[in-house]
Amino acid sequence: MEPLTLWQNLLRDTERKTTWAQALAKRDAVIRSLLEFHPDGACAPPHSEGAFQGIPFVVDSRIAAEGFRLTCSSRMLADFVSPYSATAVLRLQNAGAQVVATGNADAFGMGASTENAATSVTRNPWNNDCVAGGASGGAAAAVASGLVPFALAADTGGALRQPASLCGCLGLRPTYGAVSRHGLAAHASSMDTIGVLARDIATLRRVYECIAGPDERDPTTASPTPLASSAQRVGVLDDLSDLSAPVAQNYRDTVAALRDLGIETRPIALPLLPHAVATYYVIAAAEASTSLARYTGVSYGFRQPDTATPEEMIRQTRSLGFNDENKLRILLGTHALRAENYPRYIARATQARAAIRQGMAALFDNVDVDLILTPTYPTQAFPLGTDAPHSIERKHADRYTILPSLAGLPAASFPTGTANDLPLGLQLIAPPFGEARLFDALGRILGDAPCPLPPTMTALGGQP
Amino acid sequence: MKYQSFIGLEIHIHLLTQTKAFCACPNQYGAPPNTHVCPICLGYPGTLPAANAEAMRMSYLLARALNCELAATCTFDRKNYFYPDMAKSYQLTQFFAPVGRNGWFDISLGSETKRIRIHDVHYEEDAGKMIHAGKHSLVDYNRAGASLLEIVTEPDLSSGEEAEAYVREFRRLVRHLGVCDGNMEEGSLRCDANISINLPGKGLGTKTEVKNINSARFVRRAIAYEINRQAAAKDNGETIVQETRLWDADKGITLPMRTKEDAHDYRYFPDPDLPPFSPDDAFLADLETRLCELPLQRKQRYERDFSIPADTADFLAEDQQLAQLFDDCVALGAPPKVAANWLAGTVQAQLKRTERRVADSHISPQRLAQAIALVEKGRLSASRAKEVVELIILEDRDPEEIMTAHGWEQTSNAGEIDAWIAQVLADNEKVVSDIRGGNPKGIAFLMGQVMKRAQGRADARLVKEKLEQALTGQ
Ligand SMILES: [Zn+2]
Repeated sequence: MEPLTLWQNLLRDTERKTTWAQALAKRDAVIRSLLEFHPDGACAPPHSEGAFQGIPFVVDSRIAAEGFRLTCSSRMLADFVSPYSATAVLRLQNAGAQVVATGNADAFGMGASTENAATSVTRNPWNNDCVAGGASGGAAAAVASGLVPFALAADTGGALRQPASLCGCLGLRPTYGAVSRHGLAAHASSMDTIGVLARDIATLRRVYECIAGPDERDPTTASPTPLASSAQRVGVLDDLSDLSAPVAQNYRDTVAALRDLGIETRPIALPLLPHAVATYYVIAAAEASTSLARYTGVSYGFRQPDTATPEEMIRQTRSLGFNDENKLRILLGTHALRAENYPRYIARATQARAAIRQGMAALFDNVDVDLILTPTYPTQAFPLGTDAPHSIERKHADRYTILPSLAGLPAASFPTGTANDLPLGLQLIAPPFGEARLFDALGRILGDAPCPLPPTMTALGGQP
Repeated sequence: MKYQSFIGLEIHIHLLTQTKAFCACPNQYGAPPNTHVCPICLGYPGTLPAANAEAMRMSYLLARALNCELAATCTFDRKNYFYPDMAKSYQLTQFFAPVGRNGWFDISLGSETKRIRIHDVHYEEDAGKMIHAGKHSLVDYNRAGASLLEIVTEPDLSSGEEAEAYVREFRRLVRHLGVCDGNMEEGSLRCDANISINLPGKGLGTKTEVKNINSARFVRRAIAYEINRQAAAKDNGETIVQETRLWDADKGITLPMRTKEDAHDYRYFPDPDLPPFSPDDAFLADLETRLCELPLQRKQRYERDFSIPADTADFLAEDQQLAQLFDDCVALGAPPKVAANWLAGTVQAQLKRTERRVADSHISPQRLAQAIALVEKGRLSASRAKEVVELIILEDRDPEEIMTAHGWEQTSNAGEIDAWIAQVLADNEKVVSDIRGGNPKGIAFLMGQVMKRAQGRADARLVKEKLEQALTGQ
C-alpha cells in the first residue's frame, strides 16, 4: 500500500486524528519545527474527492496558505495572516489535501540552520543538539520526524535540499519555472522555487505532479518539453577533497552502489564550482535587497508606532523588523546595485551565471550524462548555537546546492545512510524538466520504502 | 533674444486599458480610496506581476506613431526608492530596453512644421497618492499600479508657445489612437518640462524641471515664466541651480520644491518576475492596421486637397470620428467644402443641442451625403435641413423619409408658386404700388408673405426670381 493511502487510513476518523495531533504536538515540542498548527486546517474546508483526500501537509513559513500567518519566520510579518493561497497550495487543496501547519525557517529564507528564525530554533530530529539545516529547516524536520507525509518548502540556494540532507528525508527542488512561485514570498526571484519534502518517492512524485504546470499568475512558469525519464549514465565527481570524511566515504559508497544497480558512472569535473558562491550571493543579495524593500509597515506587517514622519516610520520599522542576516544581505545587495558598482558586481555575476548554466548544459550534452551526482552539503548536521562553521564558511558550503539554483536545474537531495548517528544525503541533478528522470533514478536507488525515521522515534499512530 | 532656450518635455499618459499595469484591478479613477486594490498592487508578499497584453499593444502603437525604433524585446526593470505611496518600494518601469527609442513627432507652428525628436517611450506603473491630514499621513492605492506610458522628448522645443503646440498636437494624437483620454486636469495626461537657457552657440545650460502643470495653456505660461526667471538670474550674475520646481497656477510662478535633493541612485535592475516582452510578426502587423492618419497630416490634407479653411480643417481633424465621417461622406460624392461646412455648422449645432456624439447620433456618411444632396438639388431648404439633421439624430431615420413624412419637400411646380405670388400681390395692393412707384423696401415683406403661404415648401431663390418678375410687370 502506498504511504499516502496508509495516511488516509490513519486519519480516517476523528479519534485517530486526535491521537495523531496529540502525538505530533508532543514530538514537535522537542524539535520546534512548526510555527502554527491547526489539525483541521486554518480555514479552507477539506475539498471533496481527490487523490489527496484528507492528507495533511506542512507549508514553509514563506509560502502563502489562506488563513495561516505568512510570517517568513520574521518579526516583520509575525502577525500577517495571508489573504490568499499559493497556486501550489491551491492545487493540493483542490485534490483534497489540507494545510495543517507552517514550518519554521531562517527569516526570509536567509540562513543554513534555522537559527535565524524570529521565534524559535528548530532542532535536528536525529540529534537535538544539532541544527536541522536551513533555511527551510522546520518543514524538513517535520517530514523527517514523520509528523506529516510531506511538506511544501521554498528553495532558493538549497533551502530545502540542505535540511533534507541533514534531517534525512527527500527534498526536490523543481526546474525553475516548473512550479508557480505565486504565493512564495520572494528572497531571490530568479532562483526561488517551491519544492517538495517527503519520505518516499511515490509521495514526492505525486505531490510534484499535482503542483507543477504553467500558471497565469506567474509569467515565469513554462510548459515543459518532456524529457526521457530513464537514467543510464550518471556523472560523478573525482575530486572529493573538499568534503568531510563521512560525506566523502558515503559518496564513494553510493557511486559503487549505482554501479551495482547497473548504472554507468562517468567521471566529470565542475570547473566553475569555485565561482558559484560569489555569483550566487551577488545575485541573490541584489534581488533580495529590492524584493524585501516592500516591508515598510505602511499597509501591512509590523510597524514601529508613533514615529514623527512616514520616512522615519519606514526606517525604524525596517531596523527592528529585520534580523542581522537580512540586513547583511540587503546592504550587500544595495551596494552591488549602486550605479557605479553595477558593472563590477551585477554585470560580472550575470556573466558568470550564464557560464555556469552553459557549463552544466555541456556536461549533459557533451559528456553525455543523464544525471549528475554531487554531495548536497560538504558536512553532516553541525552543532546548534556555535560559531562553527562560521557564517562565511556556511555560505561557502552552499556551493553544491547553488549550482542547480544558478542554472535553473531540477535537483533532489536523497538519504544515503547515516554516520555518527546522523543522516547523510547526496544530490542528483537533472537537465531542465528532467524531474521524471530524477524520480526514476531515485526509485531504483531507494526502492519504495520510506526513509528511516530517527532511531528514537516511532511512526505516529501506526503509519510507516 | 539674448539667450537661447532648450525645452524638453516628459509626458506621462494613463493608458485606457481595462485593468492596471500588472494586476486585474480596474484602471479607473474617482472610486472611494483603496477600493481598486488587490494583493498584487498592494505589494503583498508572494504576489507576482503579470504583463498586460492590451497595454503592450497601446504602448507599441504610440511608439510606432511617434516614429520610434521599436524594441524587438523590451524589458521590465525595477526603479528602487522608498516612499509610502510606492507599495513595493520599487516602481516597475523600463530602463534597459524601453518599448521605443529615437523617434520624432511633427508639430505645426503657424505655416511651418517643426520636427521634435523623441528620446524614448517607456511603460511603467503609477504610484498611489499620499494625503497629509494633520499629524497623520494617509495613502490611497487606487492609482497604484495603474498603467502609464512616459514619452520623453529631446530638448528641441525653444519656447512656451512651441511646448504648448507640442502638447496640444500630442494630446490629439493619443486621443486619435485611443490610448489615452488626454485629460490634463484629471491628470490622465501629465507634463513635466525640463528648461535651460544659454547664450547662443554655448549648448545646453543648467536645467530646472518644472512639475505640476495641468493644462496646455499653463505649459506655455510656466515655461515662459521659467525662461524669464532664468534669464533675469543670469543677467544678475547668479548661477542657475539644478532643481525641481512647481508651477503655481494661481500666482503664475514657479517655486522650488522642498525636497532633499540628494542625487538619487535608483539602482535600476531587471525585474526577475517579469520575462521580457518580444512582439511577434502578427503583433507588429496588427499595429500597422491600427495606425491611422495622424491629426496634423489629416488637417494638412484637408487644406491642400479640398481648399478647406485652416480653422475648419483643424476642427474636423481634432475628432477622429468626425474626420472619418467627413472622409466617408466626401467619398460618397458630397462636395468637400459643403460637407465641411455642414459638419462644422448644422451637424455640430444639432449634436450640441441633443447632447450626443457622432458615435451615438445615428448620423451615417450615407445619411449626411443624402441630406446634402437634397439641399444642393433644391428639394430641401437650408432651414428645414437643420430639422432633418436633428430628426436623424433623435429618430434614426433617413433624410428623404423625414422630408417626405413632414411634407417639407420644396415644390418645383412653377404654377403653384405663381398662384401664391398672385394671391399675395392681390392682398397687398398698397405695398405693390409703392414698389412699382420706385420704393423697393416692401419686397422683403412680400417675399416673407409668399414663403409663409408656401409653408417652407418653396425654394427661396425661385420665389425671389418669380416675385421680382411679377413686380416688374413682365
Ligand atoms: Zn491590483
